Amino acid sequence: MAHAETAHHAEATTTGLNHRKLLMWIFLGSDCMLFGALIATYMVYRGQSIVGPYPVDILNIPVTTISTFVLLCSSFAMVQALAATNRNNQRGIKIWLLATALLGFTFLGFQVYEFYTFSVVEGLFIGTNLFGSTFFTLTGFHGAHVTLGVVWLVSLFIVAFKGRLGPSTALDVELAGLYWHFVDIVWIVIFTLVYLIGGYDAGPVAAGVLTGPIPSVLPV
Amino acid sequence: MATTTGVLARPTSYSGVWSWLTTVDHKRIGVLYGATAFIFLLIAGLEAGVLRAQLARPNSTIVDGQTFNAMFTMHATTMIFMAIMPMSVAFFNFVVPLAIGARDVAFPRLNAFSYWVFLFGALLMHTSFLVGQIPDAGWFSYANLTSRTFSPEAGLDFWAIGLLVMGASSVAGALNFTVTIINMRAPGMSLWRMPVFIWMTLLTSILLVLAFPVITVGLIELTMDRNFGTNFFNTSAGGDPVLWQHLFWVFGHPEVYILILPAMGIVSEILPTFSKKPLFGYPVVIFSGIVIAIMGWAVWSHHMFTVGLGPVANSVFTITTMLIAVPTGVKIFNWIGTMWGGSLEFKTPMLFAIGFIALFIVGGLSGVSHAVSPSDFQQQDTYYIVAHIHYVLFGGSIFGIFAGIYYWFPKLTNRMLGEGLGKWHFWLMFIGMNITFFPMHFAGLDGMPRRIYTYPVGYGWEVYNLLSSLGYVLLFVGFVMFVHNIFHSLKKGQVAGHDPWDAPTLEWSISSPPPEYNFAEIPHVRGLDHYWIVKREARAAGQPVPGPEPHAAPGSVHMPSPSYWPLVTAFGVVWIGGGMLIDVGWDYIKFPISFVGGLIAFIGVVGWANEPASAPDAHHGGHEAGHGAAH
Amino acid sequence: MGFLPFRSRNVTDGTPGSFRQVSRPGLSRVPPLALLAAMAVLALLVACSPQSNMSTWETFGPVARGQLHLFNVLLWVMVVVFVLVEGILLYAIIRYRRRPGQPLPHQTHGNMPLEIAWTIIPTILVLAVGGWSVATLFRLDQPPASAGKPLEVVVTGHQWWWEFEYPDADGAGKVISTANELRVPVNRPINITLHSDDVIHSFWVPKLAGKMDVIPTRSNKMWFQADATGTYYGQCAELCGVIHALMKFRVQVLTNAEYDTWVAGYGKAPQLSADALKGQAVFQGAGTCTVCHTASGVDNPAVVDGRVAGFNSGGAIAPGPNLTDLATRTSFAAGTVEPLNPDNLRKWINNPNDLKPSTHMAGRAKALYPDGSTKVTLSDVQVSDLVAYLMSLK
Repeated sequence: MAHAETAHHAEATTTGLNHRKLLMWIFLGSDCMLFGALIATYMVYRGQSIVGPYPVDILNIPVTTISTFVLLCSSFAMVQALAATNRNNQRGIKIWLLATALLGFTFLGFQVYEFYTFSVVEGLFIGTNLFGSTFFTLTGFHGAHVTLGVVWLVSLFIVAFKGRLGPSTALDVELAGLYWHFVDIVWIVIFTLVYLIGGYDAGPVAAGVLTGPIPSVLPV
Repeated sequence: MATTTGVLARPTSYSGVWSWLTTVDHKRIGVLYGATAFIFLLIAGLEAGVLRAQLARPNSTIVDGQTFNAMFTMHATTMIFMAIMPMSVAFFNFVVPLAIGARDVAFPRLNAFSYWVFLFGALLMHTSFLVGQIPDAGWFSYANLTSRTFSPEAGLDFWAIGLLVMGASSVAGALNFTVTIINMRAPGMSLWRMPVFIWMTLLTSILLVLAFPVITVGLIELTMDRNFGTNFFNTSAGGDPVLWQHLFWVFGHPEVYILILPAMGIVSEILPTFSKKPLFGYPVVIFSGIVIAIMGWAVWSHHMFTVGLGPVANSVFTITTMLIAVPTGVKIFNWIGTMWGGSLEFKTPMLFAIGFIALFIVGGLSGVSHAVSPSDFQQQDTYYIVAHIHYVLFGGSIFGIFAGIYYWFPKLTNRMLGEGLGKWHFWLMFIGMNITFFPMHFAGLDGMPRRIYTYPVGYGWEVYNLLSSLGYVLLFVGFVMFVHNIFHSLKKGQVAGHDPWDAPTLEWSISSPPPEYNFAEIPHVRGLDHYWIVKREARAAGQPVPGPEPHAAPGSVHMPSPSYWPLVTAFGVVWIGGGMLIDVGWDYIKFPISFVGGLIAFIGVVGWANEPASAPDAHHGGHEAGHGAAH
Repeated sequence: MGFLPFRSRNVTDGTPGSFRQVSRPGLSRVPPLALLAAMAVLALLVACSPQSNMSTWETFGPVARGQLHLFNVLLWVMVVVFVLVEGILLYAIIRYRRRPGQPLPHQTHGNMPLEIAWTIIPTILVLAVGGWSVATLFRLDQPPASAGKPLEVVVTGHQWWWEFEYPDADGAGKVISTANELRVPVNRPINITLHSDDVIHSFWVPKLAGKMDVIPTRSNKMWFQADATGTYYGQCAELCGVIHALMKFRVQVLTNAEYDTWVAGYGKAPQLSADALKGQAVFQGAGTCTVCHTASGVDNPAVVDGRVAGFNSGGAIAPGPNLTDLATRTSFAAGTVEPLNPDNLRKWINNPNDLKPSTHMAGRAKALYPDGSTKVTLSDVQVSDLVAYLMSLK
């Protein structure tokens, strides 16, 4: 009987790439534009807040450096999880998937701590000033991506626990990995721009109080 | 076999209402898209009727400013997001798999999901009519008129959340078509053998995937400003309303090409068929499309010449905008080149395609005149611009869409649309369109601003407006004829056969309407205009012209099975947005209601992920269900 | 020709490409003729159309003239291209229509030299026009130094009226604030700075200059110069709310002497009759006109800020036009009510929405217009006195 292809069988595709993998790559391109626009908004409003708190007052770069390191480590764990899947190392799959999810979860913990400190302790809320609006929106959207990733990884962990992950289903892990690495890379950009470069921003440029090393990117 | 997972048993019916609700067949989804979009097209047309009635005479009091603003806002929003775009998607759905020799799209259930999200999102936005708080800040909704201070009613929340939801649908659909076109072409169909319509679909999809996230961010910022007190466009906190304009037009200009490229693709299919001649300069037409799709990202500020960005920025965008006219012109020359030396047969699809060229030339030329920023300082926000956009979107996109409907209707239904009625329809549209929109050039140059709900006597605008309103009547009659033609032909139209136009592309080599699996045997594509090659060789050899292949034996072709989950998931996603619009005087109620929507969507995704694309059946045994939660 | 609805009917026997045309006698050319007739009527109407208050074709200043000049040349280019391309299209339609028994046409796929030609030639054309427009853009950006010292005017857009402030109206530092009628001397460059305290508007006087947006948080600049005295019509060109259509203004271009007289007279205490004195008391009464309006020269900035803040937070207050020189104007209500006379003013005060719907005056001044649309709470006598007072503000 002719086994004609349907959408989800491992069929020969025109490019040889799996449909889902191609979909994920294009989706990540789309997501790049989303974060690009969010980051652009942040950069346009750098140093434009009229009232404090300003980044220089509250950003805690050492703490965020640690959470960034945690997230980078999770990418390493993700690579290991995929490698274990390809080798059909069932124990490795479970350990490394769980490690990735836990590291991601730890990063989220840092973010919750950061949001709590900034708002309740330091008085920066989403409506306080432009910094509050842009900062919480940008990092919040990233956090939502990480949360989705953690849910995905936990789902995979459950599947792995049933012993259903292995070389034949490695693509399931690889797709999660693609997404996870992307989220990680976006964070590196955010960390660089918001914390390392913009972390010393103070009040409005117009008042000449900008103390950051780089002036605002757009002339007004 | 009871191996299906989840709470819902697998739908099994292939007819009746349930079969439409659970279908994953790209042809049926295309019909759903087309029918829905056409209804919204009619609604938007009636909204335009309100505008034309009000403006027919000076000092008219048929509607007040509030209603007028709501009508032009919803006219444009509906036309762009709920009529032209989904109408293009209807063609993508129906034509793309057929024309590339595939059995379905790459992700059939994602395709169904896109449709349901679009439908529910459009209905969500139109709920604003029921609560009497209709969006009224224009389809561009410039900040800070959209702030709670200046637009306290919920209309703009409906607008922003409705567009966010429909954006999700567009991106999901575009991802699907990008993968389908890149990955599911029949053997032998290299990129340079793809029909132009497929190329334009690919470019449109890529534009959609990249442009929608930008407006998504703008809409999220607007929604948060209005509901959570953020300051993105709050001028008293230093927010800059011009940021909205940049976000909007960085999306908005690629959007213009999202609206016109599919129509250009349709025209590029129809002209060769009815000229009996291959497309002139096929690679050049494709390259022009690619150049337009790339340069479309570099011209957005020509919508903002009067914002005060300064002469340097205005110069740059003047030059880039003028340059984008070149590939557009090249396309027009190639279309005329296709007709040149051909054997032109003026069937209705051909008439609409030629109408497209004739009218698009006008729109393109007036476009150049406001690409020149000093000249645009006078034309910006006047009826001159209204004339321009209607020549490119009505004369362009809508004429292209009608050409496509007349062209592919026989493939969809095995019935011809009536030619006599079709020609009446065309001439009413062509003449009505020119009477409606050509005088607007003069009104604009005589200083009539856009979006004014009334005007006094003595500004010299009366005649032009009266003509425009009379032209509307012709267009209205044309639409009525078209609707009549559709219903009449569905029942009594001539039987079309599988290839009524002697067309060059793959979809015409199979029976009309196509079987669910499209191709019993996947064809091997031998060149551009594959079916012409096949037919002409047969004729030259004196053999019978190959018709549609015999139908496949039942069960021998394994197709994706219908599914409830796209519908459930789409419902949940739109519920999330709808929850944010609940207004019972206590804001926090929004969150639990939205959360319920999230829960429904989550259940939908889990059910979806655990359900095999094809139900296991007797012919096929139970194959592995273990694909992950990726989609 | 088969493109008419009357000419032919189609027959198919179901085989591929089997459509034949069966000609019917009695060819009707009605649709194309109707189209031609419609176009001709349109052209006639254009030729006969009355002069427009806001026509961009009639220019009275270097900025508008420069912009029109560019457009006029473009228009000819457009007409030539239009006739050429549509002509070729029409020729192809007629020349290459299908004839009975015609064999398959020659299957050309393209012509590279032709493609290159019709890419290069338009590119050169648009770059030439583009270069010229960039030059025009920079030339019209600033008034030429040779034009003399410009008069500075600060324009503030409000929902839905215009405020004009002269930081130095007479060259000796006299500050003037007026509304909806901008008075400027002839043959002198006018430098405009644009502000908004609420939403985006756009400042446009077609016969003098193209538009420039009025954006909160930004200070846009533009300039114009008028060659001839007279009244020029302007209107907001960016959607700014429910009565965007009614946000108009006038530019009164005066001779130097007339301008100087107006400037010198501005803010002098008006001659008040007995009625007008009573009207002044009403005007200045607690909770009435002075909440939003001023009739005694330039406003105190703190008062202005208070009105704007009150308006933006939804209070019973709005920035109202400065009425110091009201009686010298020819129109009121942002150029929508003409002429300015006691009758119209009385109607206006009784219920502004009768003359201009959805005003903030009726909507916000709750003490005077309790439900936003009914008659003012003042007595008829008070209104008459008020009108007498307003008509003496010269």
